[in-house]
Order: sequence, then structure tokens, then C-alpha cells
Amino acid sequence: MSVAQATTDTAVPAAAPSRAAGGRTTGSVTGWARRFLNLLAITVVVLLLASVITFALGAMAKTNPAAAVLGETATPKDIARMNHQFGLDRPLVTQYVDWLGHAVRGDLGVSWFTTIPVTDSIKQALPVDLSIAIFAVVLAILIGGAAGIGAALSNGGVLDRAVTVVCSILGTLPPFVIGMALIVLFAVKAHLLPAGGYVPFSESPTQWLRFAALPSLALSLDVAASIARQLRTSLVGALRENYAIGAQMRGFSRRRVLFGHVLRNAAAPTLAVIGLAIPLVVGGAVMTEKLFGLPGIAQLALDSSEKGDVPVVLGTLLVTALVVVIASLVVNVAQTALDPAARRTSDAAAKGAR
Amino acid sequence: MRTLKALWAIPSCRFAFAVLGLVAFLVVFGGTLAPHDPLKQYTDQVLQGPSGDHLLGTDYVGRDVLSRLMAGTRLSVAGALEAVAIGAVLGIPTGLLSAWMGRIGEWISLRVADTLMILPFTVFAIAVAGTIGNGLQQAMIAVGILISPIFYRVTRSVAMGLRRTQYVEAAELMGATQWWTLRKHIWSKVLPNVAVAGAHATGSSLLIVASLSFLGLGVQPPAPTWGGMLSSDLGYLAQQSWAPIFPALLMMATVGSLNLIADGIRDATGQRRRRRGLLSRALRRGDDLRVPPQRREQRKESSDAAAA
Repeated sequence: MSVAQATTDTAVPAAAPSRAAGGRTTGSVTGWARRFLNLLAITVVVLLLASVITFALGAMAKTNPAAAVLGETATPKDIARMNHQFGLDRPLVTQYVDWLGHAVRGDLGVSWFTTIPVTDSIKQALPVDLSIAIFAVVLAILIGGAAGIGAALSNGGVLDRAVTVVCSILGTLPPFVIGMALIVLFAVKAHLLPAGGYVPFSESPTQWLRFAALPSLALSLDVAASIARQLRTSLVGALRENYAIGAQMRGFSRRRVLFGHVLRNAAAPTLAVIGLAIPLVVGGAVMTEKLFGLPGIAQLALDSSEKGDVPVVLGTLLVTALVVVIASLVVNVAQTALDPAARRTSDAAAKGAR
Repeated sequence: MRTLKALWAIPSCRFAFAVLGLVAFLVVFGGTLAPHDPLKQYTDQVLQGPSGDHLLGTDYVGRDVLSRLMAGTRLSVAGALEAVAIGAVLGIPTGLLSAWMGRIGEWISLRVADTLMILPFTVFAIAVAGTIGNGLQQAMIAVGILISPIFYRVTRSVAMGLRRTQYVEAAELMGATQWWTLRKHIWSKVLPNVAVAGAHATGSSLLIVASLSFLGLGVQPPAPTWGGMLSSDLGYLAQQSWAPIFPALLMMATVGSLNLIADGIRDATGQRRRRRGLLSRALRRGDDLRVPPQRREQRKESSDAAAA
């Protein structure tokens, strides 16, 4: 998942074909094992650090359950009893180890107010964000991919300039303003799609699509802009590499060179951009939830944050971090699977950088 | 100073400076020059369009939009700048140090940066508001901490590159202390990169601050901010679908100017950049990959970090 690796990898593939012949000296099996172990270590450490940050926030919390639940009428005895009930009278390290141990087993404690298990509330809310976010990433790849390829093919032409201008404008707007513009266009003016509300995918996929289309589109445009930009840059570069020119000279059509040869090499840096954008997508899903009134994680987190319901707030943060880490892992694996050059160079990078 | 002069020579940067100058003016005088009290509710003129009395119309409780926009500039911009300052203070020294920390320290600092980069701004800010408290300071500290990896990465990548150059090695061989090398040889090379990253980071942190106030985090209503104005417009899109345009335009102009200046600094200080500025690309043929691959790689790391 390592973002560091992703950023160093991004630029390499354009240069990679020229040194494709070298770098095969180390056994590929040990290379894979090294890489896997490295990835595993990084993932575990990042998750641990995320849990430490999350727990530290909870430890710094000004609210305690007694004051929060009982209000101002709480006597010192009540407070002590409540603190004991939630285990807040123990040393911080014990609390952390205990909390982490439970969290690993999927138990994030109970809400201070409703005593509903946090895991249950999150399980209910998470699919909303996940479905929106996944749909948004798919849309972003489609829109950004089309725009990027189009711009690269018309390098310097009208389409290229149009894509550049639109991307730059999208980059200067917060995602929720894009969402508002979409609401005005599609819901208020055209009455095509609902401006808010939600139906779970499992209930009715078509209804889900109706409600999820605008939020996902709003979420995807920002990422689509970065994808289009990166894809254009790497495609323009790759189309000028010797192997691309050679293929063209041998009489392959422009389209065949693009889709058969060049796109594969340009895809890896683009995937790295997607990997970097995942926190933005997940964070943005929170935003679109508020914008379109979806019953997701943000609603849960905002409600509990207003009340000072610390276990729920911490649970949402930890689960979000986990989602981002898993998604980044998927992108990383896809990157490796798609582009053999990335596999070789990241081996070299792993040795050089660490 | 020379850099500033070079920046001024670029037309798009001159335009950007003009916009930022206007914004800075609004930050200082916006509140006092506003034609109406930004909090006063003209209850008989709710949701009015632009008129002679209210140049940009009124909002849902009859407050003057132009006055709110002018008065709201201060909190919006100050919040973003505070977050960037916190991020820079946290990120730059650690980035410099990481090049000298040895393998273990370096590995750990990289992982901390990774961790901060995977935490989404919105969820983290909600969690901070729910535990430590909801206010401008808390929200800005949260954003600043999450921004710091940008500065860390940029500083680190430059410092790593310089670490192996011969003149730094020569200085070290001649017995220069690490502090001397840092100050004399490294810092002047790091600064332009940090400036570029800082301009980009200020732009994105403006957007983040706006997003947070949209969620009701940070500045509390009724104090006006750009994000807060947009958020209150959301409920009245059916009646006044054009209302979000004004704060959005002001935000676009500010963020766009910051990006133009970042591109300009990159040009003026001789850093190669990944793509040309918006204007030059829109007007001329794009031809942006004449740089050798290894330069591209170096450059990409910094620009990617800035983009994140």
C-alpha cells in the first residue's frame, strides 16, 4: 500500500522499457517474498500508528461518559461508577491494549448513550459510503480515462485544451460545490434525479442507481481530473518512446499502438494517482453524504461527535483508516499485476530507498 | 527578491498577484468596508436577488451576501494559513532530519507520514471535533497535522537528492558541521520547493477549511465564512440556484491564483515542472516532456506530494 512507494514508482515506467533487459539477476521468488513482507510490515505499522492516533484522540477527550450521559446532576460517585463501568479508571496503556485487542476482534465498544455496539452502527452505515465510493472510482476511471486518452491523442488540439481547462477549474473547487452544481442541473432544473435520499443496493439496484448517481458523479469528477491529467502526461511521453514509434513504423495502426502497447505502460502511474486519491474519495464520500442526505458514516460520526459519544467517533475513524488501507493495497496489487515494469522497478526502489 | 521580480514578469502571475492582493485587502479591511452588518437580518428582504441596496442579494434570513462575503474572507483565509503554517512547522524540520536520521528513524518517519496521508481530512476533523472540541483552532490543528506530510515529502526528496551531491560531500569532508551544511547548502535549495508546495497547500487547505465549515466544523455560525455561506445556500437551491456562485467564484479565483503562482515559482527558480500553466497550455501547443526521465522522476515526487 505504501504511498511512498507509489510516489517513487509513478515516474519510472516511462523510462522502464529501456532497461527492461537488465535487473533480472535476483531470483524472482525472493523478490516477491521480500516485497510481500515489506508490504505487510508497512501495512501493519501504518494500521498500528492509525490506532495509536485514534486512541490518543480518545484519551485527550474532554468528555467522559458520566458527564455526557448524566449531565450536570452527576455526583462524583456516579462519575466514578460510570468511569469504572467503561474501564476509564485504568492506566492508559492497559486501556489501549485492551481497546486494540477488542478492535482486532471486531469489537469497538458500545456507545455511551445508547449502549448499541459501535460495530453494529458502523456495519449499518458503511455500505452506503462504500457503494458510493466504489461507484465513484469506477466513474472516475471511465471519465478520466476517456478524457486523458482523448487529450493525449489530440495533443495540443482543441480537445486537449478543453480537458486541461476543465481539469484546472475542477481542481480549484471544493467537491461539495461541484455536487451543488449537479443538484441544480439535474434535480432542480431538469428534475431527472432526486436531490437526496437513499435506497440500499440490496433492496433495489435500479433505485439505488437513481439515488447514488449524483453523489458518485460529484465525488468522481475531482479524481477524474487527476486521472485525466496523469494519463495525458504519461501517454504523451510514452507515445514518443522508441518502442511506440517503432510499432507505428512497422505499420500498426495508431489505435493498436495506443491500446496494445502504450496504455499498459501509462496505466501504472495513473493507478498510483488513484491510490493517492483514495483518502480523498473516502473523505469526500462523507461530504456528499451531508450534501445528499445519505444515512452513512458521516451522519453517524457527526451526530456522535456533537453529543460527545467518543467510542462511536473513534470507531468511525479507525474503520475509515482501515478501509483506505485496504483500498490502497488493492490498487497496489493491481498496479503490480498490470505492469511488469513496475514490479521490477519497485523491487529496485525498495532496495534503494530503504 | 530576484524571484519576486521574475514572478512579476510572468503575465499570469501578475494577474494572480492582483487577485491575491484583493483577497489580502479583504482579509484586512473586508469587515470594516462591508456595506451592511454581515449578521444583520433584513427579515422583510429574504432571498432577494441582486439590487441597488444589496448588490449580491440577500440570503435565507435576509443577510446581505456581499457583506458576508467580504467579512467572511478573513476567517476563511486565516484558517487556511494557520493550517499551512502548522503543517510547515511540523513537516519541514522532520523532512530535513529524515535524510540524516539513519535507517530506522527514516523508516519510522516515513510510516508516520504514510499514516497521516491515509486519514481522510473530513473524518479526522469530525473525530477531533468529537473528542477535543469543535472550534476553529482544533479544526486547523487537525488540518495542519494532516497537511504536514506534503511538506515532509517535498523537503525530504530535495534533501535526499542533495545529500549525495559532491559539493555537500565536499563540505562534509572539509569538516563542516551538519548544521552548517543544512543552512548553507541545503536550505536554499529546499526553499523554492517548499514555496511551491506551500502555495499548493494553501490552495487545498482553503478548500478543506471550506469543506469543514460546510460540515459544521471549525468556525461556528453565524460568523460568516465562504464554506458556511455555501452550506447555508444548499437548503435554498430550489429558490436561489445561483446563490452559491459568488462564494464559489471567489474561492476559485483565490485557489486558482495560488496554483498559478506555484507554477510561476517553479518556472522562476528553474525547477522543471510537470505541466505548463493553464494559460500557456490553453493558448499554445503542449510539449512538456523534454526533460530526461531521472529529472522527471525527481520532479514528479515533489509535484505528486503537492497534489496530494
